[in-house]
Amino acid sequence: MRFLRCVHAEWLLVSSRLTRTRLGLSLLSLGAALLWLHGRGLDPLTVVLQAGALGSIIGASGLAGSEGDRAALTTALTHPTTPLAVATGRWLAMMVPAVVLTIAVAAAIGWQVGMVVSGVVAAAAVGGCALAIVIPLGTGAAWTLFLSIAVAGAIAPERLVALARPGVVRVAAASALELGPALWHYRDIALGNLGAILHALAWTGLGILLASGFVARCR
Amino acid sequence: MTDYALTLCDVTARGLVGVSLALLPGEILGAVGPAGAGKSTLLRIAAGGLRPAAGEARVCGMPVTEPNARRHVGYAGDSPVFPRALTVREVLTYYARLHCASKGERAPVGLVREALELAGLTAAADLRTEALGRADLHRLGLAQAALGGRRVVLLDEMLSGLDAIARRDLRGRIAGLAASGVAVLMTSRDPAALERLAARVLVLRQGRIVRAGPLASLLAERVLEVVLDAPPPEPPPGFRITDAGLEAPLAGRTVESALALCRAHRLAVRASRVRVKSLEEIVLDTHDAR
Repeated sequence: MRFLRCVHAEWLLVSSRLTRTRLGLSLLSLGAALLWLHGRGLDPLTVVLQAGALGSIIGASGLAGSEGDRAALTTALTHPTTPLAVATGRWLAMMVPAVVLTIAVAAAIGWQVGMVVSGVVAAAAVGGCALAIVIPLGTGAAWTLFLSIAVAGAIAPERLVALARPGVVRVAAASALELGPALWHYRDIALGNLGAILHALAWTGLGILLASGFVARCR
Repeated sequence: MTDYALTLCDVTARGLVGVSLALLPGEILGAVGPAGAGKSTLLRIAAGGLRPAAGEARVCGMPVTEPNARRHVGYAGDSPVFPRALTVREVLTYYARLHCASKGERAPVGLVREALELAGLTAAADLRTEALGRADLHRLGLAQAALGGRRVVLLDEMLSGLDAIARRDLRGRIAGLAASGVAVLMTSRDPAALERLAARVLVLRQGRIVRAGPLASLLAERVLEVVLDAPPPEPPPGFRITDAGLEAPLAGRTVESALALCRAHRLAVRASRVRVKSLEEIVLDTHDAR
């Protein structure tokens, strides 16, 4: 119970960041851009997956990526909380706007439950990964992840792998796409693919654990 | 048996060698010394933010590494940073929620109100932290450190870089906090900042405590200042040359005997006065004694 209450404390950041910083406007811009791309022919599942994944990266950047936020973790840890509670709370806090964006985009382009579940699960997995990246590396790393997910999420993995030089680079690219939280995995969630769900859950858990490790180092 | 609020027993870490201290409830202990003396490291170990290589720190009898100990010890760093885009009240609410995480504990609203009053931030409660001046940031640091009825508060350079009025105000608030039974350990690069506040002082140099004791006894050392018509070619034994003439500690001798020594050296004494040593001079003495 104590852990959950500490997690809940992190939610206080969401509403103020959405209304007082660029976070809210960035999420609205992302939603508008994805709807525009849908109008230009981008398929609905990709749009919803991108909304979840990119929304959570923007959320991670807005809620934990700035130098001030990372420095403030030191002060937070002098209070009775734990690094795991901080990381879990931040992850949940950034998930809230990403999930709302996913649902709003799905509602705008034609509601399908499987599609929405895929988007939310993609948000959870990519969000975990993003949090583990922004806490040690900051907002710059979040934008690198944003661009890579945006590009890799819109192109078939086979085409991306084929772009790499044969040899070690191609093996590395294929491994990254296979092991990383690439969106092509999560397309199958809409079809009920258990492997894709487990992949996403693994990234969610791993991301939060890694993030809590980095939070602990802020002491 | 004495119930110490904070004890450090033979603590050794990077930049700190075998430091031991004990702090009673309601006591204010000042740690002074030049940059790199180990003051901040000492506070971070006492706050549980840094594990010592050897030795142990305890708060209210508990090892500071225990999560429960953080309910009793608060820490304000020398460069206070708070989550951005939040108001002062929201920042304190965020921390207060962590203190009220167990069922049956006080509501965060009450803790926040108390902390705002303690730090004198009630008027600035709805200002965003980005809009705060240095003095108010330090007040917010004090408020969050004392939040939730902490029994030990660690303040790193809390009085540094402030104007005289803000410094006096904060000194009063820290003294009030100690009067309520909270033990305060604070550091300062500027020894003068602690002269009117700390009951006990320890001087650190290169990670070691080189002097320690009640402030009153440290400041009991008297110095004779002698103004001369012309600078002497060589000072009498025990004296040192200053801009105005000479000065010497009066340890174990009278003013008359010291002045007689000057006359014996055929020095034209224009005036003389006795003053007490400042804490800054004590720090400088320990530095020069290397």
